[in-house]
Amino acid sequence: MSKAWLISGSPGCGKTTWILKAMKAHQGSCGYLRLTNSPTNELAQLPQTEIDYTFLKDQIPHLQNLSGFHKVVTSQNDDLLVFIELPVLQAHTDQSTFEIYSRIKNQLESLGLYPEKHLHFGREPELPSQDILEFTKLESCSHELLGKVWDPQSLNTFWFELVNGAYGDVYRAKALMNLPDGQSIFFNWIISQECSQFLPLRTISPPNGRPERTSELVIQGIGLNCTRIQSTIDLCLLNNAILEMHQLPLRDRHSEAIQAI
Amino acid sequence: MKNAVISCLHANLAAVKAVLNDIDQQGIDHITCLGDLVGYGPQPNEVVELIRKRAIDTCQGCWDEDIIEGLNACECSYPSQLAEKRGHLAHEWTAEQLTDENKNFLAGLPTSIRRDRILFVHGSPNSQHEYLLPDMNAFAALERVEKAGADILFCGHTHQPYVRELKNGSIRVRLKNTSQNNAEEKEMNLPMRKIVNAGSVGEPRHGSTNATYVIHDDITEEIEIREVTYDVNQTCTAIIEAGLPQIFAWRLSHGFEFAEQAEDASHVCER
Repeated sequence: MSKAWLISGSPGCGKTTWILKAMKAHQGSCGYLRLTNSPTNELAQLPQTEIDYTFLKDQIPHLQNLSGFHKVVTSQNDDLLVFIELPVLQAHTDQSTFEIYSRIKNQLESLGLYPEKHLHFGREPELPSQDILEFTKLESCSHELLGKVWDPQSLNTFWFELVNGAYGDVYRAKALMNLPDGQSIFFNWIISQECSQFLPLRTISPPNGRPERTSELVIQGIGLNCTRIQSTIDLCLLNNAILEMHQLPLRDRHSEAIQAI
Repeated sequence: MKNAVISCLHANLAAVKAVLNDIDQQGIDHITCLGDLVGYGPQPNEVVELIRKRAIDTCQGCWDEDIIEGLNACECSYPSQLAEKRGHLAHEWTAEQLTDENKNFLAGLPTSIRRDRILFVHGSPNSQHEYLLPDMNAFAALERVEKAGADILFCGHTHQPYVRELKNGSIRVRLKNTSQNNAEEKEMNLPMRKIVNAGSVGEPRHGSTNATYVIHDDITEEIEIREVTYDVNQTCTAIIEAGLPQIFAWRLSHGFEFAEQAEDASHVCER
């Protein structure tokens, strides 16, 4: 029989990292659903993103994406453990936990999901608490970067500027960014941490044009200047000619390696 | 006699005035400028005219050269595409603002100034574009100073002030004499040399927003790195009002140590 756990917490509190650990510890198959659609104003401030799922899928290749899924089929997935990730702005109170669950109960039931556990960051002592922040208001910028490839040095500068406040007070930023050598890097930053986390995905695209995998940047904070962020991004992205200049030697090396085999 | 050395003014009039005022207050009347009078900042004409008016000995920086020669042949100066595109925006704006008279002044600047065994350059004796970073390989650094025939080399360009003494070193060389089919070992003591980087007046990147310059006492050989506060907000406001990229104002208002560096900072452009 399949099981479902609801994991809620504020942006950047460590939900996805915790879910990844739990998935790795689970013996059976895993599913993932990120809830962002909600009629409430609060959740409307949180952007929809495929970043978390793409990162988890890279780490857990057999992960099932249940976003947009009509109904979970339980009969063939006896050991399926579904993690439902729910970002919320407020820290935990008994009232808020009750409200959170009531708000999404119908949505989950329509998918055939009946969570047996609701773990909320800030309530459960066993969950990490160092990055739990309470937000009363939060702006978001979301930048779709599908098929875009960054000049690596420019990306380094842009991220430094972003998390140090050049485009507004950023509390949280995460992204999947493509590099010309075929790597995709998961960028992760929260204001409570001194440094950003940079994790290369295991899956590497061949250096053959523009990759067709998820690439996005999501920023949350106050006083964000999304237009200036986009202008800087535009200055950092490689055009076709420069991308080809980066990739041609990599393809040649790849061909030589194959011939040597 | 005490001499002041200033560098990398970058069209920041408030910073230049504050530094010249600090130098005047100490009764120092000999100043050498290591270039980059323009670029990034909002007052290129005002800064060039102040340096001309004070008749300050000045050598040409990379920005002073590029504003005359154009940027076409030196994309290798930029460590990233972003830096290059922003540099081009600043270059176009500055080229439009500068008067012909001030451009002619920059075009006529020498690439180095020599006083006996002291050499003044913007980047390195090789090029205005080469970075002599404080952690550069000691042998390569010594080679730059020794080849230029100098005991002390004053430079700028990195925007990070430092004094580096190259001393008490030796090199052991094994020479193979083919005619006698033997090898001979020689040990040579290296001469004591100094590299002094004046930092930046107009765009500091040493972890503080204060302008920096150095004072050299040619009798005692003492070198002092000085920091001068100035009205940073005034310059930041002028950058934004001039229509230059706002990121220049943000960078100036933080004085971060972070700066983009080319993968090979000592790369010499061969244009």
